[in-house]
Amino acid sequence: MRTLKTSEAAALLNVSPNTLRAWERRFGYPKPQRSAGQHRQYTHGEVAALRDALQQGLSISSAVSRAREALSTDTHTLVGALAGFELDRADGAMESALALRSVERAVEEVLLPSLDELGERFGTDSAPWAFAARWADGWLRRAQRLAPAPVRRLAILVGDATRSELDRDALAVRAFELFCGRSGARVMALPVAGVSGLSDVVASLSPNAVVIAGSHLADDDIALWAYRVRATAGPLPTALFRSSHQTAPVRTTGTRMLPHQPFAAHRQVLALIDDRQGASVREVAPLSVPEAERERREAQV
Amino acid sequence: MRRLHALRPIEVDGQDGELISFCGHCGLRPHPRAAPPASRVCDHCGLGVVLQARVDVAPRHDQPFLVVDMSLSVCAVSAAAETLFAIDETDAVNRHIGDFLVPADSNAASVENLLTLLVDVAAGSREVCTTVVRPRHEYGVRFWARIGPCGSPRAALLVLS
Repeated sequence: MRTLKTSEAAALLNVSPNTLRAWERRFGYPKPQRSAGQHRQYTHGEVAALRDALQQGLSISSAVSRAREALSTDTHTLVGALAGFELDRADGAMESALALRSVERAVEEVLLPSLDELGERFGTDSAPWAFAARWADGWLRRAQRLAPAPVRRLAILVGDATRSELDRDALAVRAFELFCGRSGARVMALPVAGVSGLSDVVASLSPNAVVIAGSHLADDDIALWAYRVRATAGPLPTALFRSSHQTAPVRTTGTRMLPHQPFAAHRQVLALIDDRQGASVREVAPLSVPEAERERREAQV
Repeated sequence: MRRLHALRPIEVDGQDGELISFCGHCGLRPHPRAAPPASRVCDHCGLGVVLQARVDVAPRHDQPFLVVDMSLSVCAVSAAAETLFAIDETDAVNRHIGDFLVPADSNAASVENLLTLLVDVAAGSREVCTTVVRPRHEYGVRFWARIGPCGSPRAALLVLS
């Protein structure tokens, strides 16, 4: 996927960078991603679609609407391909989506909405849904294997409480794992149903956060699994993703509800870990001052 | 007679029928002697596309106006019209003009009258006309509406005064 800096995108549209930022505020389009240095990065496809739409638009709003429509054809293609059981066409639709978007946006804007539409249309107990869900699961796992190796010393343990790969939430959980992996974290997903030998796995991974994802299993099963993890790894930031068990934060363990969308959820988990690491540094810092002072006095003596 | 020397001709933008440019959002007209713009986007506000209309139809910068295509969908709403109708252009675009304006001319044959005028102008089978309209769900308020072609692409410009 080709990305453009603000100045490059503005030049392509023949407008100033300030105008481009004003469009982002007013129309929410083009929607840039942020680089590691927090600079805006526009996808070439979005900007090119807007440039073409502006040639025939009577207002910026109508051009934006037309550009969005042009981009949504990927979703229609994917839905059509999966409804027609055409694997090659489905792969092709995702390739097209990736030409215009990042992996994260292609998953959130094309793959997951397409599967939602198929679930609504056929029901999640149908053969077309099973076909589409299997394909999507395979695609997400393939993307996860192709993700760069972890670069951050972060590990996230995901307790998978979905029914199976045909569970509607399972794809969102796979997407969440993919996004965390692409952010440089090590991710391990284990079924919540299995607690035997869990302590060995947890000790080996030494996770920085635990996410319990899905709502298929009973509350007691989830509690047992979480207890085993806590007994091995100690108190860790814990969050619930796509869980129907509770809607408010738990005061005793500080368990948080993550947003419904996988991308927003993964951002929140990473922020949770960063906050905790920042807090632990802040906790250590005041203790080191008297120690340094004592050392200085001893040296003087 | 000597006083006549003090008179100056009134500056007009052009003759009837001549096309002039204006921003589809702020309504400002580029300076007539300004260099041709690099893009269709208004240099002044950056939030509108520069359109063209006949000088007798084109809005002044403070006049509320809307642009409607042949399918009667709203394509542009000026900043003044946003204030008048308390809507955002982003919410109004692609909605039917009937959601915002209805005929208020007691002599008009039917509700279709305004819509017929707009379709005819947008399609090119009628040039400039006027009618009376009022905001939908508002009573006791009426506006003269000047309707004429604009573009490109061709559409109907509805200026309220």
